[in-house]
Amino acid sequence: MADVSTLTDPRGYWGDLTSEERGVAGFLAAAVLVLLALMLTGVLNPTYFLFLFGLGGMFGLMSLGLNAQWGYTGLINFSVAAFFGLGAYGAAIMTASNSPIAGDMNPIFGLVLGLILSAIVAIAIGIPTLRLRADYLAIASLGLAEVVRLIILNEGQWTAGSQGLRGIPAFFEGWPVLSTLPETLPQVNIEVIPGRVVTLGFPFWRQLLNVTLVLTFMAGAYLVLRRAHRSPWGRVLRTIRADEDLAKALGKNTYFFKMQSFVLGCLVMALAGVFFAHLQLFVNPGNLDPTTTFYVWVAVILGGAGSNRGALFGGFVVVAIREGPRFIEQLPPAFLTEFPPGFLRDLAFITDDVLFELPSIAISPGPLQLLLVGLLIVLIMRFRPEGMLPPQRELIWPDAVDENVRKRPDSGVREQRGGDGDE
Amino acid sequence: MSESPTEGTATDASTERAAEETPGDDEERSEIVLEVENLRKEFGALVAADDATFDVERGTITGLIGPNGAGKSTIFNLISGFYEPDAGTVRLNGDDVTGIEPYKIANKGLIRTFQTPRKLEGMTVREAMLIGPQRQPGESFHKLFTAPGAVGERERANMADVERILEEFEIDHLARQPATDISGGQMKLVELARAMLAEPEILLLDEPVAGVNPTLANKLADQIRRLHEQGTTFLLIEHDMSFIMSLADPIVVLDQGSVLMEGTPGEVRTDERVADAYLGGGGV
Repeated sequence: MADVSTLTDPRGYWGDLTSEERGVAGFLAAAVLVLLALMLTGVLNPTYFLFLFGLGGMFGLMSLGLNAQWGYTGLINFSVAAFFGLGAYGAAIMTASNSPIAGDMNPIFGLVLGLILSAIVAIAIGIPTLRLRADYLAIASLGLAEVVRLIILNEGQWTAGSQGLRGIPAFFEGWPVLSTLPETLPQVNIEVIPGRVVTLGFPFWRQLLNVTLVLTFMAGAYLVLRRAHRSPWGRVLRTIRADEDLAKALGKNTYFFKMQSFVLGCLVMALAGVFFAHLQLFVNPGNLDPTTTFYVWVAVILGGAGSNRGALFGGFVVVAIREGPRFIEQLPPAFLTEFPPGFLRDLAFITDDVLFELPSIAISPGPLQLLLVGLLIVLIMRFRPEGMLPPQRELIWPDAVDENVRKRPDSGVREQRGGDGDE
Repeated sequence: MSESPTEGTATDASTERAAEETPGDDEERSEIVLEVENLRKEFGALVAADDATFDVERGTITGLIGPNGAGKSTIFNLISGFYEPDAGTVRLNGDDVTGIEPYKIANKGLIRTFQTPRKLEGMTVREAMLIGPQRQPGESFHKLFTAPGAVGERERANMADVERILEEFEIDHLARQPATDISGGQMKLVELARAMLAEPEILLLDEPVAGVNPTLANKLADQIRRLHEQGTTFLLIEHDMSFIMSLADPIVVLDQGSVLMEGTPGEVRTDERVADAYLGGGGV
């Protein structure tokens, strides 16, 4: 809630937050500090961090999209990866150097094609399923994800098949200033710890530009979705989620509303795909791997269904969990050879056999990713089934609510829920 | 229409024609709001509605009673478009609305409530109330961005309506409560209040006082009477005999899917067929 009050009255803003919001804000502040420290001491490469941040933004976008479908309207979409892939391929087909159809065009055309493709597919799958109960969309979308992936894999005359599309330019290629900006920016050396110089050069500026792009996409999507969520339009969607018959009985064309919500969500997912194509500069059918869909679901559930901020938060957390274990390999070798630590070795009952096996189990990043995600799901379901940042405020068009009533810190739903949280 | 016009029907016909031309004007409307004709619905071997025929006249509170399984709720679902009839027609202000989508029927001025109050999770009472008003500009996505001023203006007006109607229903203290945290009776009041925000011509209430304590039931009856005086037509199902007898006139009695009789509360009370139907006898 980036109101003006944030700037003029920071303390009042903090006081207006729920305990959950404060917790998440504190967590984020701590994460920022830790990451800054890691970068300044040279443990974490800033350029690589920006790349990861870009991935986080990408997942955040996909979660925003899914939240607009499931969190608002209750639509169960298991083809997040497919719409992401359509966005990525739409961008790649127009811009890649080996694209069989178009290629080497301005990335703007790729963006447009990606969005159009995903909108068309969303409408095509929505027409037969959105009139039916929610389960049918879930089943159909599960199949759709595979169909889209197989089409991209097999229709090589359009998509270059399993080779993938390469030679995709950066998004700002061909733009007046931005296309050459990374080359012109100077190289910066930062030395916090003597002897460990952190260099910020061309690759860093280039990633920074990418991050700017994803932040722009995120901000745009977030602002549109937030306004929609607080509007009468969003209220109809929330009614459909709670009870579709009631919405119908009150004269709302629920099919049309569900279609709008579905297409809107798919467009935001495609936006994530467009960004990905210009981040990775290469796409192949493997990018439509269905596990992406489930990571995005975890992100939305973690953030709290119906919460835009929660979806963004969830997206970044999921990337941290996915990518975090890789850093275990980069830990100083001394740590690994001394695992388990020396004092454990001295304990008589631990034999050499056990010591030999333990490290290989503990430090392999692949299984650890899955273990952590599994653990996260179990923990959320057990302790916070409503997610970290569930929507807790009334959603009424801003200028329709009395200012003095709105400023009152504890009333309505907030009072109820906030009170529960404190107990 | 093939009858030769006598003096009486000529004026009727002219008012009807006028009603078709200016559907916004209440005074010139036909007297019958809802016409149900030979409505039929079968679920497998069970005939839930068996050629039911009745009319609801403008400005009445029409009661729909009958023993359990008589098909009252089925008829409601058929009228409001939630079920598609196997045969028969439903006319609303003379328009055939048989089998069209529920939301279209609602847009034509027929609003219904449900037997069990529908819960709107995550909304406060006043948010849940704001769904009631029809044709809000804020319900079209593009207007949120192209005409935010109009959206805000309408939302403010709706908000004022919500506050007014909650006060009239004497539940304004609940406005900012979560819609799921109020009692069953209060939910029924909220449902009725919300339905009124849709400005219906005819309101179908499915068991408005089922499971509601007597005090609240009286309050609901008062509200229904008040709204009736303001010009809303009601069709209501109710099992509570004293409630419906004191409120509704005429009363339509259903038995086994078809209309057994129709009359004033006094006539219904003294009719033997009605007593038989309720006591389970007389079924040939």
